[in-house]
Amino acid sequence: MTRHIRTATLATAAALAITLSACGTGGGDGTGSGEGSGAADAGTVTFWDPYPQHTEGSPWDELIKSCAPEGTTVERQGIPTADLLNQLTTAVREGGAPSVVVLDNPVVADAVGAQLVADAEQTGLDTTGFDENLLGPGIVDGTAYGVPFGSNALGLYYNASLLEENGIDPASITDWDALDAALETVTAGGAQGITFSGIAGEEGVFQALPWFWGSGADLADLGSDDAVATGRLMSDWIAAGYAPRSATTDNQSAAWDLFLTGEYAFAENGSWFAQAAADADFEVGVIPIPSRDGGVAPVPTGGEFMTVPVQEDDAEASYARSAELIACLTEGENLLNTNETLGYLAAKADVRAEQVAANPLWEPWAPIVEGASGRTTELGTDYPVVSALLSEALQTSLNAGGDADQIRTAFTDAADAG
Amino acid sequence: MTSSTLTAPVPQVAGRARDAEPGRRRRRRHDRWMAVAFAAPLLAYLVLFYAVPLIQNLSMSVHGYDRNTFVNGGAPFVGLDVYRDVIGQDRFLRVLRQTAIFTLASIAVQYVVGLALAVFFQRSFRLSAVLRGLFLVPWLLPVIVSGTTWQWMMNADTGVLNAALGLVGVDPVWWLSADNALMSVIIANVWLGIPFNLVILYSGLQNISPDLSEAAALDGANAWQRFWRITMPLLRPVSLITLLLGLVYTLKVVDIIWIMTLGTGTSQTLATWSYGMAFGKGTSAVIQYSEASAVGSILIVIALAFGLLYIAAQRRQED
Repeated sequence: MTRHIRTATLATAAALAITLSACGTGGGDGTGSGEGSGAADAGTVTFWDPYPQHTEGSPWDELIKSCAPEGTTVERQGIPTADLLNQLTTAVREGGAPSVVVLDNPVVADAVGAQLVADAEQTGLDTTGFDENLLGPGIVDGTAYGVPFGSNALGLYYNASLLEENGIDPASITDWDALDAALETVTAGGAQGITFSGIAGEEGVFQALPWFWGSGADLADLGSDDAVATGRLMSDWIAAGYAPRSATTDNQSAAWDLFLTGEYAFAENGSWFAQAAADADFEVGVIPIPSRDGGVAPVPTGGEFMTVPVQEDDAEASYARSAELIACLTEGENLLNTNETLGYLAAKADVRAEQVAANPLWEPWAPIVEGASGRTTELGTDYPVVSALLSEALQTSLNAGGDADQIRTAFTDAADAG
Repeated sequence: MTSSTLTAPVPQVAGRARDAEPGRRRRRRHDRWMAVAFAAPLLAYLVLFYAVPLIQNLSMSVHGYDRNTFVNGGAPFVGLDVYRDVIGQDRFLRVLRQTAIFTLASIAVQYVVGLALAVFFQRSFRLSAVLRGLFLVPWLLPVIVSGTTWQWMMNADTGVLNAALGLVGVDPVWWLSADNALMSVIIANVWLGIPFNLVILYSGLQNISPDLSEAAALDGANAWQRFWRITMPLLRPVSLITLLLGLVYTLKVVDIIWIMTLGTGTSQTLATWSYGMAFGKGTSAVIQYSEASAVGSILIVIALAFGLLYIAAQRRQED
């Protein structure tokens, strides 16, 4: 028995000792350790991006490596978008932050709030010449934090032959009523209506925002009649059988796969599928998403920012190398290369015009990108909370089967919680 | 662990009883150090991988962490505020109730079906080994595969489940809607858990001597009586551990729920709620380290309570 007690004491003592030391590093300033993985080594520049689909040796990978500042090599890592910010958080905490990180635009404000990325002035990034609406999400309290090299946006793809069979002119779909009428016609004709992603979280909110903003609603007031109208529009689509019920769990890729079956007349999806649309088995066209009372709805800006994480050791030299790499990827002729390689539209008007002139696929997308609004531009670091509340209201709406009272309650609850 | 490493040298010591006293004392001290040395790796392991994370988890739940203080330090001590905040939320009781339903319904059905199958397979028949092997498939498949398959089968418009229901004239069900989500993830989780129950209960049954049943049959007990009066009581220790393990496994399930519904609607449990907050995933991208730790701690306390209940039940059985 005594032996047991003694072992227990020993264990407790050891536990205490280790815990104390753990607290020392954990609660501390996060310096030291992890030098191997970080930017501490002057010979390597580490580059994290959310494009794991571009593997080593792919054109994107090669492009980055060709931009390595003199005397350095680039170590690139592709990390799924959903994990990138968390990995960056841990890396900065452990003192092993990468030299450059490509962040999805709605999380830049969050990263700035947590002091993960250094501001453009400090690092010497040149943010001039980029479109103001695309630069917006990278500006927090008047300070720029990154370079919005390119953008993508949402549009309304349509199955040209299905519309023709049902006698619908896509050019006539300029408001919600026209769209609903078209959906009614095609479903009455035996086809399916529209696919979109209503999945919980940011992806679903991204897809709902064109309708939300197109109704005249404002993210600062989730309880407004216009906001409720958005919930009703999408809820009614499911209730009427225009949209699949799986929309509540479909992400954008799943929604696109449904459209590719050829059974659906419309698909709300992104410009990143423009090439896939051109390669589809049937003829696919695209129109801007209509606003409620007519005209083009503002869509949220899609795309990423190149940012420079905060460095502890030898920061100045490290920032200079990072800025040089980013400048190489986003200035002059290479801005075109970067965007064409990733399938994005450039965030500078002249380069974008070049892309459109060279590839007619881009033609319908350029005006959509130019009319897009940043999700975090207005709300800054408050955006994630509002987005989460909107996501809950949308999920309730999509499940409500068009029940107007339930939808109104969901949105007013969201407004009250905000 | 320590005592078993000590027993080996003891006979040797006893055999040389004529040795001088100081030598024996020295050896005893030596043995004690040996014991510590043997136990040290285990202790280090327990401390590093159990005690430290547990204490960090508790520490996190009583400090107000956000992304900034997580990285740069300076999270203020807030005492039990985070617990108060979590428990005070409207959703807490709802999520707790859903967790209870998910856990209890899952293990009850898993156990009953697993036991029925184990009894069924006890009588060896042709292909019984092959069939038993097939029942293990859910266990062998990666959950990402089975979860996605369940989601696909439960598709409200084009899923095979609704197609099958349509054949027998039942209206299609919107399986993954907010209201039905809990039922749907329970169905998938039961399917996932049956093999575990089957394997453990089957091996438990193998350990019960058939002689007892035979003797009872000679005394006139029918099959039903033999099952309830002989098999079940003898299977009790195995049943207890199966249920306890099932309970702990089910309480902490995140993967199957997450893959099917992201924990939306009624399928939110304490485990998925905590996961979503800890990593800023699911409906809200807002990272809530402290709240996630608090919910995690509550989960640990619940699991611990059932662990103690198990020990009490086991002790009563031994007496």
